[in-house]
Amino acid sequence: MTQVQPAHFTSAGGIGTRLSDILWRHPRLLIALLLLPPALWLGVIYLGSLFALLAQSFFSIDHFTGLVKYEFTLSTYAQLIRPSNFDIILRTVVMAFCVSLTSAVISFPIAYFAARYARGAWRAVFYLGIMMPLWSSYLVKIYAWKLILAKEGILTWALQKLHLEWVLDAFLALPVIGGNSLSVSTAGTFIVFVYVWLPFMILPIQAALERVPPSMLEASGDLGATPAQTFRHVLLPLALPGVVAGSIFTFSLTLGDYIIPQIIGTSRLFIGQAVYQHQGIAGNIPLAAAFAMVPIAIMGLYLWAAKRMGAFDAL
Amino acid sequence: MSAVTFNDVSRHFGAIKAVDAVSLDIAEGEFFAMLGPSGSGKTTCLRLIAGFERPTAGDIRIFAQPVQDLPPYKRNVNTVFQDYALFPHLNVRDNVAYALMIAGQGRRERYRAAQEALEMVQLAGYDLRKPSELSGGQRQRVALARALVNKPRVLLLDEPLGALDLKLREQMQEELKSLQRQLGITFVFVTHDQGEALSMADRVAVFDHGKIIQTGTPEDIYFRPEVPFVADFVGSSNVLPAALVAQLAGESRPASIRPERLILGAEGRIRARVTGLSFLGLATRVSLDAQGTRLTALLPQDAPRPAPGDEVGVGWNADDLHLMTAGAGA
Amino acid sequence: MKPHFKTVLLATVLAALAPNPGLTQISEIGEGEGALSIVAWAGYVERGETDPKFDWVTSFEEKTGCMVSVKTANTSDEMVALMNQGGFDLVTASGDASLRMIAGKRVQPINVDLIPSWSKVDDRLKNAPWHTVDGVHYGVPYMWGPNVLMYNTKAFDTAPQSWNVVFEEMTLADGQSNEGRVQAYDGPIHIADAANYLMYHQPELGIEDPYELNEDQYQAALDLLRAQRKLVSRYWHDAFIQIDDFKNEGMVASGSWPFQVNLLKADGVPVDSVIPQEGATGWADTTMLHAEAEHPNCAYKWMEHTLSSNLQSDLSVWFGAVPSVPAACSDGSGMQTQQGCDANGMQDFDKIRFWRTPVADCDSQDECVPYYRWVSDYIAVIGGR
Repeated sequence: MTQVQPAHFTSAGGIGTRLSDILWRHPRLLIALLLLPPALWLGVIYLGSLFALLAQSFFSIDHFTGLVKYEFTLSTYAQLIRPSNFDIILRTVVMAFCVSLTSAVISFPIAYFAARYARGAWRAVFYLGIMMPLWSSYLVKIYAWKLILAKEGILTWALQKLHLEWVLDAFLALPVIGGNSLSVSTAGTFIVFVYVWLPFMILPIQAALERVPPSMLEASGDLGATPAQTFRHVLLPLALPGVVAGSIFTFSLTLGDYIIPQIIGTSRLFIGQAVYQHQGIAGNIPLAAAFAMVPIAIMGLYLWAAKRMGAFDAL
Repeated sequence: MSAVTFNDVSRHFGAIKAVDAVSLDIAEGEFFAMLGPSGSGKTTCLRLIAGFERPTAGDIRIFAQPVQDLPPYKRNVNTVFQDYALFPHLNVRDNVAYALMIAGQGRRERYRAAQEALEMVQLAGYDLRKPSELSGGQRQRVALARALVNKPRVLLLDEPLGALDLKLREQMQEELKSLQRQLGITFVFVTHDQGEALSMADRVAVFDHGKIIQTGTPEDIYFRPEVPFVADFVGSSNVLPAALVAQLAGESRPASIRPERLILGAEGRIRARVTGLSFLGLATRVSLDAQGTRLTALLPQDAPRPAPGDEVGVGWNADDLHLMTAGAGA
Repeated sequence: MKPHFKTVLLATVLAALAPNPGLTQISEIGEGEGALSIVAWAGYVERGETDPKFDWVTSFEEKTGCMVSVKTANTSDEMVALMNQGGFDLVTASGDASLRMIAGKRVQPINVDLIPSWSKVDDRLKNAPWHTVDGVHYGVPYMWGPNVLMYNTKAFDTAPQSWNVVFEEMTLADGQSNEGRVQAYDGPIHIADAANYLMYHQPELGIEDPYELNEDQYQAALDLLRAQRKLVSRYWHDAFIQIDDFKNEGMVASGSWPFQVNLLKADGVPVDSVIPQEGATGWADTTMLHAEAEHPNCAYKWMEHTLSSNLQSDLSVWFGAVPSVPAACSDGSGMQTQQGCDANGMQDFDKIRFWRTPVADCDSQDECVPYYRWVSDYIAVIGGR
């Protein structure tokens, strides 16, 4: 007796079909297969290099030959708290903080407008305006800023035409942030940082604000809150995850950048430059690695503090 | 005293006349319903009272005070939003106490008031939950408590029961009604559900295309619609065209008659053919075709039922035929 | 740290002398391997791509079949780092890098007998200490030049006589202070410029060599640089940014290379250069062969090519430098002329103190401050400490 299978239960029988059947019956297998490549990428390439870096920071360098000595030591980390190195860390963190804060303040109204009022063509204009600076080369933008901020640059020229040079001169006379010209001052570095990272702040805030229904703001006003109170008690808390997400970008990008402060600023080093110089130029990979661990540690602390302050409660 | 007065108020959005020369007068302590299909202008009227919209023309007064130039936060009017608009980052207690916090009340004082408001809507004990942890009905109650906590003189409700299931909706209707009686606050209620409007409101305004078509008590609206639109929209009255009414009553005006007032039998004022029957539980709905005029009759459960295709006579008491003012009728 | 450095140095010297198979020089040049990779300063190895007039690679490739690839480095420290990584055959190392690479065994001795044009090399360079250790040659001189004082001719009536214009606050001929209008090199080796200045002005410090400083001399140099920090808005790092700064930032004086001076002059900017009374530091670059070079035959052919082709002449025009082969100034092998060579500093050899890596175990005194401290202290000085 031969068993005859009903025709409508037999599949076409191809390998592909059978594979689809297996995946259909085991959805977890499908997810695992989809996640495997990115997980490998993240695990091996990203985390692997991170740990390699961490390991390097526990070695030290022979200062004459420039060759790494592969012996465990904490001396490289001890170098970080030397005044000259600690200055670099402090300078970078203060800069990153100011840049993030200013970006948030500038971004909020732009993002609010985009999220609440921009429709149709205006929306396209908004996205184009925000994204376009990201399309052009980062270096081109920085060199353009060098020309704008130079002593004999566009800004000075424009202020001269307006007879407002004294404003710039008074500003440049300020200690710490001032300097001979904007292009060689800390203020110049700051301006360019804010410009370059601004899109990374606007977009997350805009995404967060878009998720706030208009009725939420009306309800607040309805219950007696002035627009300022509504901002303080409703809009800001609801937009905070976006602000924090944006500031993670601006903060970490500033911590890691080594090109802007080299072209615009006072030649005082930032962490990124210190990493670049010690790694690429001086060949002092252990010290570079130790410097590179600083932003990672700071970002860890930052996220922890943001979580403690309830930045993610509205997620 | 009038709680809310509109004098020829219009709100136009470009070419769209969302509210077009509306005048109305809501008395203090009244439960007033604005009824109409979506896009008829009833919600815009509510938003004009709250202050979320400003009138293009006309004059709005709340307790005799002109409010055109008053922002929402300066009006003693609160709103229960259709989507409740609870603040997701605050717990129930802080949501309810929000208006008091804004007003600068101390923590203990406002929490006690919030506690009372929550008890009033039977949500005591939910203080520390987040809105996301509540059911739809519970959120509705929180929104109500939040809007009532600072004792507004007018409460605006924008389709507040729309998102609830039938049973909960009926229960909330009764609760809202008794709450309104208990507090004596003027309620202005927007809905597209005529049953809800009729069962709860003291007076109903029926909106269509940015205008108020008819204002009256639920009985007026139900039994004495002035135009075919009202008759049709409010509880699907039968509308007899003017030509037919001219034959029967001698006046060339459309007329309405409630389905339950139609009497089916061998005799009748007009003849009609049965086109369908549907069982509704308490009654049976009979669809009829009287020489091109579609009619609906509701038969009590114990009445004899015709079969589809039967020729029947349709009769009514002369009092039940309500002559309307205008329009040719459906 | 001192004994440690001595040990390293001793080991290096022993290794250089011992018949170590990894370090023995080759005795004859075989067939080319078909490829050659060079770590070089920007503009040093040109194949006519930047400017068709300047090409000294194509003819080499045609002649030998060794295809040249170049990795550009911006600083000496970067060159050392690249050679430590490996994978390169040759490097155009300056004196502040060469000894480090010899000590680190990253380069191998050169058999000059295999380079016929060796005889043409400037006698002043043949046994220069930055590539010759105990009589063993570790490379072939490539190009040299002074770190000149570049100045704006509108701010100075006459050429400045002293480096003090970049070290001390003063009012210049145009009536304005030099504060914010001068620059300095953004590399630790600039400490030697300060030492060179002190050597002239403060003889009581007893500096004999700006690359060999004891603690007191070193601190005096750092103090001078701390004062300079107040005058300098931005240190120069990249030659093209310095060019831009002289055009747009109102810079009027800085230590510089003839390269920038020539480019600025060509652009019509009113600048000129001078070697002031204190003399100047300078760079003398050497082509050195990696200890594990994959293409030694091509490398030897290249070293010969550097001395015998149009390279010496044309490169000295292109880079504003002085050839290591004096004949290249006048033999018509390229575009260089004797006047050009003189303008680039040919006659100033004795005024120039060439870059060398500062080491703890120095010749002129008991103990000197080593280079790693120059690195961290210079970062601190720029940082305002």
